[in-house]
Amino acid sequence: MKFKTLAIVLFVAFLAIALVGCNGGDAGGGDDGTTTATGVTTYTIGVAAPITQGSVAQGMDIKRGAQLAIETMNESEEAKAAGVQFKMVEGDDMSDDKTAVTVANTLISDRNLIGVVGHYNSRCSIPASAVYSEANVVMISPGSTNPDLTLQGLSGVFRTCATDDLQGPAGALFALDMGLKKAIVIDDSDTYGEGIADFFYEAFEDNGGTVLFREKTQVAERDFTALATKITAENPDIVFFGGGFETIAPFSKQMHDAGSSAPIMGGDAMAEQDYIDIGGSSVEGDYVTNVGAPVEGLPAAQDFVAAYKARFNLDSVGNFASYAYDAAFAIMKAALIVHEETGDVTTPAGRDALIAEVEKSNFEGVTGTISFNENGDTNNKVISLYKVVDQAWEFVESMDLGAK
Amino acid sequence: MSAKEKLTSMITSEGADSLSVPKARPMLEGLKTMSLLKKIGLGLLILAIFLAPIFFQGFGHIFLIRIFAVIGLYILLALGLNIVVGYAGMLDFGRIAFYAVGAYTAMWVGVPIARALGEVLGGWSYFAALPLGGLAACLVALILGLPVMRLRGDYLTIVTLGFAEIVRICLANNIFGLTNGAKGLPRLGDSLGEPPGLQWLKYNTFFRLGNNFEFQFTSNIYWYFVIFILVILSIIIIRNLDNSRLGRSWAAVREDEVAAQAMGINTAKAKMYAFVIGAFFGGIAGVTFSYFQAYVSPGSFTFLESALVLAIVVIGGMGSIPGVLVGALAIQGIPEFIRGFASAGWFGNLPAEAISAISNYRYLVFGALMVFMMAVRPQGLIPSSRRSRELHATGSDAVRESTTLEDERNKVGETYHTQL
Amino acid sequence: MGILIQQIVNGVTLGGMYALIALGYTLVYGILLMINFAHAEMFMVGAYIGLFTLKFLSDPAWGMARLGLGPVQEFFTGSVLGLIIMFIIVFIVTGALTGLLGVLIERVAYRPLRNAPRLAPLISAIGVSIFLQNAVLLWIDSKPIPFPDIFPIVTLPYGLNSLKIFIVVTSIVLLLGLDTLVSRTKIGKAMRATSQDRGAAQLMGININSVIAATFFIGPALGAVAGIFYGMYYGAVIFNMGFFPGIKAFTAAVLGGIGNLRGAMLGGFMLGMIEALAVGFLPAGYSGYKDVVAFLVLIIVLIFRPGGLLGESVVEKV
Repeated sequence: MKFKTLAIVLFVAFLAIALVGCNGGDAGGGDDGTTTATGVTTYTIGVAAPITQGSVAQGMDIKRGAQLAIETMNESEEAKAAGVQFKMVEGDDMSDDKTAVTVANTLISDRNLIGVVGHYNSRCSIPASAVYSEANVVMISPGSTNPDLTLQGLSGVFRTCATDDLQGPAGALFALDMGLKKAIVIDDSDTYGEGIADFFYEAFEDNGGTVLFREKTQVAERDFTALATKITAENPDIVFFGGGFETIAPFSKQMHDAGSSAPIMGGDAMAEQDYIDIGGSSVEGDYVTNVGAPVEGLPAAQDFVAAYKARFNLDSVGNFASYAYDAAFAIMKAALIVHEETGDVTTPAGRDALIAEVEKSNFEGVTGTISFNENGDTNNKVISLYKVVDQAWEFVESMDLGAK
Repeated sequence: MSAKEKLTSMITSEGADSLSVPKARPMLEGLKTMSLLKKIGLGLLILAIFLAPIFFQGFGHIFLIRIFAVIGLYILLALGLNIVVGYAGMLDFGRIAFYAVGAYTAMWVGVPIARALGEVLGGWSYFAALPLGGLAACLVALILGLPVMRLRGDYLTIVTLGFAEIVRICLANNIFGLTNGAKGLPRLGDSLGEPPGLQWLKYNTFFRLGNNFEFQFTSNIYWYFVIFILVILSIIIIRNLDNSRLGRSWAAVREDEVAAQAMGINTAKAKMYAFVIGAFFGGIAGVTFSYFQAYVSPGSFTFLESALVLAIVVIGGMGSIPGVLVGALAIQGIPEFIRGFASAGWFGNLPAEAISAISNYRYLVFGALMVFMMAVRPQGLIPSSRRSRELHATGSDAVRESTTLEDERNKVGETYHTQL
Repeated sequence: MGILIQQIVNGVTLGGMYALIALGYTLVYGILLMINFAHAEMFMVGAYIGLFTLKFLSDPAWGMARLGLGPVQEFFTGSVLGLIIMFIIVFIVTGALTGLLGVLIERVAYRPLRNAPRLAPLISAIGVSIFLQNAVLLWIDSKPIPFPDIFPIVTLPYGLNSLKIFIVVTSIVLLLGLDTLVSRTKIGKAMRATSQDRGAAQLMGININSVIAATFFIGPALGAVAGIFYGMYYGAVIFNMGFFPGIKAFTAAVLGGIGNLRGAMLGGFMLGMIEALAVGFLPAGYSGYKDVVAFLVLIIVLIFRPGGLLGESVVEKV
């Protein structure tokens, strides 16, 4: 009896999905129907980031940045002249690698998908990149900084953010230059935080500094009082924390409460206005490294900041929004060129051409010049140091690691 | 009928008929006695499951294959938990620990083999990793189980929950340098190798029907079938277990532990068997996950996962294998289907914002649905027939639903004075 | 020595918050024998309600000042008396609203399941938890929201400061208050009776529904107070903040003997202490294992005292 119920339920479910699946294939107008009667071709850009769980703050920035880029491009003369429009499809990976691969499979199920902006967490990007690569879809990560992502030898995998092996050492060199010789290194047990902290550790020791000890905590942890007491007792010159602003800000506050005067330093995931808003006066004097030279001087960046604030009704622009904006533009600019040449980017040849074209990218984005090296990493190897002065990030100095 | 009499009849076969508890009955024998209709139904179902990925792939709905494969993994996990919760009546909230042990064992076994044999032959390590991962999970369950098996009810819950957190934290902290911390395994340059035969299948199964249908074998389909086979084998094994002497002793322990003990059942041993055997299925699910994903990191083994596996068992109907299947379909399927259908444009040609909203509200809806499903069907969608017989067959005065809150209240009240 | 005292201070402060949350678990468990996994989310929602109430009362850009109550708002933020009154209002309003939400959830999600198999409400609770997290995420904000920094902090030796003292003292007052409520008042008596035998309590004329409603009011209200403390202490609230404190508080409740009020208090303070001391005294580089230590202590305690520290364990009668 029960068995029969089950059999019927499952059978109907499969049948329904299979049937709807066939219909969906037609109704969705998927494959060759990219070009409508008016002669406008629509391509899909996937945006994969954590939206409902995990690193949501950064994920939402990525989504908004990519969305703004796509809207800007669709309005632009370039796109209108080429008869191309872009459609954004969002994939919420919840900072979970299993979900990320499912998202990747969901995105590539759309035959008009030409590129993906994402994922944020390296532990999501790495397994998902294999799926995109197999489907010949361009993937540009705006936030996965683990060097391994582009070292896997997969085609079509790029990123607009700097890798941990640049930012970590740059942070170490900045600290040593300032005469800060004794460091304590902490990370949040996430791929990003752990990676950047490892590289900081290594470079700091190699260049004559001393790391007193290395601690680990967790992303969602907020109680660092005991850790702060322990660290303060060691009296370090600087504390490097690999993690996101939402974890480091309470840490800095608690360090301050514990009576420590050592500045905290972190990577680009900490370079947010929210860091200062949460930490308040406790975070004065903290340092952060960020990718690229300061963009305040670039007109493109100023326009972006203004447009972003207006579009989403926000006070500040998240760091990863700019990376995502540039990543989306890199895909779309390349797609316009390929569309011009071949007429359809979704053919196998078109897809190969798109990957080649993204590789050749060279334009002024909102985070500086966007171009990629042979692995797919950004050539923008300038790392800048910022400091909290009077409740704002103030530029201190830049370092070009590409020059070495 | 008193609890003791009831148990006597359940354990000794003479009484079995009066309670209509099925005798030990192997799967194949069950197949023989099945009506023609059922046989056809079963055949159709298996055929549908078998053909489904070909349809999905052909029409380009690749995500459905992935979703069903992931559902299959959760079925394996939930089948294991079902032994512990549904059969033996223990509440295990740390199922994901065994999954993690299986997944990491696969990496520890598979990566060196793949390194030694090369990319192509390396994939055969799956067949070594599968039993080893299962056994490793059993071993861990045994080590945890020995001291804590005598804990009752909710105390066991928190211990298993805590244990799962311990495992996750140790993995994230790169314990003994084995787990590569948060970065996960395999390390750069290592891999688990190519699944055996995948290349051959890829090159030999390409076909095209018309303009809209293009089939190509992929690694998704490969693992879909592997998981599908594992699920069927597991169901056969578990059905036989449930109908064995061990299965009946689990039922006795679940119903009334003291009475079961009085009847000469070694309750500690019976519970331990359930715990360890349950862990085995968690372990093999973990191994398969590792190979399917080709990557593991501690981020996959959070508390929420354990909670969802438990939800599969309870929403499906405790102790019921069909329940597990339907529960997994509901718990793992609903959020993913909502998302997948929204982005595939099946809800009509909506603007991007609306699609994004649908997909982002999926967990909100899902949470509400969980509450709703429990309110409508507190016994689960497909309750176990044996459990309902046990609960209702013995007349009005003896309807001792030992699993209701009210009754547990009395039972625990006797055991611990928990008054405020 | 100084460090040890500092770590004890840290542990006690954290423990105070754990104890407040743990009471919610233990109360519900004592009455309904149900693990209310949504309680962690009540703590989170409470923190948000507290944040908005506080902003409404103190932030010139918010509420009060705009409603033409500028002078009142200045009184609240300008003087010590004003601050005290304001915090009392914030605690009462937040506690009441969160408590009402708790009652509502009980009514919608748990009451229909009162005679259901006992795992059913547990799953419902997980559903409620997922729902609340996503509701806050989607309808309020996905980013952490800074908590108004208006509590005057006076730093004292040994890592003590006015906020830590405030948290610990308030927690202890609330714990003692609840203890008195349960042991001395009529509703407390009804709660104890219900917890011992619901059927018999009903026969004695106790309205079970109102006792359960009261339980679901008190637990979340205390959780909300802990949520406000959390926001003040750590500087921000976020939608997923309930998870760690929730698990820890549940652990604390079990450690003390679940269903036992004083056990929950003891467990909370003990767990806070274990965590702080584990971080302080594990060798450098191993503080990531502090939760491992906490859970190991729990497991070991349960092996030797299967009913928790204060839970009385009696051989089952047949």
